[in-house]
Amino acid sequence: MTAQTVQQGDLVTVIGLEVHVQLETDTKIFCGCSTEQTDEPNENVCPVCLGLPGALPVLNEAAVEAAVKIGKAIDADIPEETRFHRKNYYYPDLPKNFQITQYDEPICADGDLEVAVEGDRRTVTIERAHLEEDPGSLQHVGGGGGIDSADYTRVDYNRAGTPLMEIVTAPDFRSPSEVRAFLAELEEVLEYLGVFDAERDGSLRIDANLSIIPEAEIESGDVTDIGADALAAANRTEVKNISSHKGAEKALAYEETRQKNAIQRGRAVEQETRHWDESRGITVSMRSKEEEKDYRYFEEADLPPLRVSGWKEEIAIPELPSARRERFQAEYGLNEEAASKLTSTKQVADFYEDVAGEFDPDLAATWVADNLLGELNYRDMDIVELEGRLEEVTRLVELVAEDEITAKNAHETVLRGMLDDGEAPDEIVEEEGLGKTDEDEVQQAVVEAIDENPDAVDDYESGDDGAINFLVGQVMQKTGGSADPGDVNQLLRAELEQ
Amino acid sequence: MSDDAVNPEEVRHVAGLARVDLDDDEVDRFAGQFADILEYFETLDEVPEVDREAELTNVMRPDEERDSLDREAALENAPETEDGYFKGPNVS
Repeated sequence: MTAQTVQQGDLVTVIGLEVHVQLETDTKIFCGCSTEQTDEPNENVCPVCLGLPGALPVLNEAAVEAAVKIGKAIDADIPEETRFHRKNYYYPDLPKNFQITQYDEPICADGDLEVAVEGDRRTVTIERAHLEEDPGSLQHVGGGGGIDSADYTRVDYNRAGTPLMEIVTAPDFRSPSEVRAFLAELEEVLEYLGVFDAERDGSLRIDANLSIIPEAEIESGDVTDIGADALAAANRTEVKNISSHKGAEKALAYEETRQKNAIQRGRAVEQETRHWDESRGITVSMRSKEEEKDYRYFEEADLPPLRVSGWKEEIAIPELPSARRERFQAEYGLNEEAASKLTSTKQVADFYEDVAGEFDPDLAATWVADNLLGELNYRDMDIVELEGRLEEVTRLVELVAEDEITAKNAHETVLRGMLDDGEAPDEIVEEEGLGKTDEDEVQQAVVEAIDENPDAVDDYESGDDGAINFLVGQVMQKTGGSADPGDVNQLLRAELEQ
Repeated sequence: MSDDAVNPEEVRHVAGLARVDLDDDEVDRFAGQFADILEYFETLDEVPEVDREAELTNVMRPDEERDSLDREAALENAPETEDGYFKGPNVS
């Protein structure tokens, strides 16, 4: 719950989402053109995705597999038969003047996803998820670059025909922060399935419906239990053009406040479509769009129906993040926070399991969750960028586990050096002389420090215990920081007591 | 179809969806033409029902890349292009 909802206790925010995710396939959904991103416009186009007369779309099997995987992960039904429809609208990003999508027979229906929201477990109902093709991209040129004021439009159809899955939730969200938590969980699940790449430009796009209703309409105890009449009675706005978790939270927080302000000033909220303007941080009214009947949906006769309900049994999916989080806590004795960090992506979780298998799971958790992810985060890097070098990180943990270097040096010098300069851990240890000094050398340094600093020795002997710290510092300097300060302290005391 | 007439409002609505600007004369003319076209469709009612061809399902292709068109060929029929893009009017 946001501060606003608490403060204005008589009103409740209701949000439902349509999330468009780009499926990771090599080729487009209805033709063999590459989905690779390129800066060159109209490079990956053919008669099918340009909508040239007579071209015949043929469905990409990999897109269907990805859809079935998603269905399985959200525990949805894959109906016996599912088919495609044409959604007609006239806009230059659609070369055919219709989009091939699914209408009343989507490939996934009645799923759900469990999300942790501020410590609570919530189940979000996913009403449906369907396959469709992405339109192309438009550039509005001249006149300041705005849609309204542009002089003309340039069209690039590279993206046209990219496979998308549209995931539609029930109006189960009660705050923008819940939406953000859901989107993060959804992205994690999709990445685990290997069907989605969050790093790809435009791979996540969200439309959100938001309305405000009186709190009295919530049935006691269950925040998702709202009478259909109450929902129908409230005007809602559809906010478009959201492209990230953070953007969703900001856009919906803005829209929530805007509607509540209107209601409290006794003004009506208009039912309309609004555009999230990320740079200005506001939503603006869009000119009225078509109603559903205006899309004149009809069956896509070029694509025979699909019968893939059996694929649900045949296609395997990996252990999902929520299950893995729980297993990490049980199997490795991790706390929830660490388990959560370590399962944030499949790559991180896989790497943690490798390291925890070889060394102490706690040490592995410190190294992967705190040190490695912390340093990567600081550098705005992702673990995938370390592909091929993860063995080096394992080697570094080994050096610590076997007490060859101090944990501090391993983290601050070796790990940072590895990330910044691309060097291997053993190289850095060698160059920097970080190998733990052998005992004789430390003993020698202790004797020297005592000989060279009679004043500090006098202070110590006359009861100033703090003087020992100065001597520890001297020894550390002589050993280049590679001695263990605790050991040095003890050695000094032993030497001074003699 | 109970009534052959297509009213001007329907024509304006459809023209709006197609982003075509019609003046009043054109609206009247198209109302008549729409009605004619709808009538032609009624001829289909006279076609006897026939069995469908053997039912096709699950027609799919493997996720394998095929050559795209050369950009020049892709843009060949466009009335206007610019720097490899199709070029058209402002579309607000």
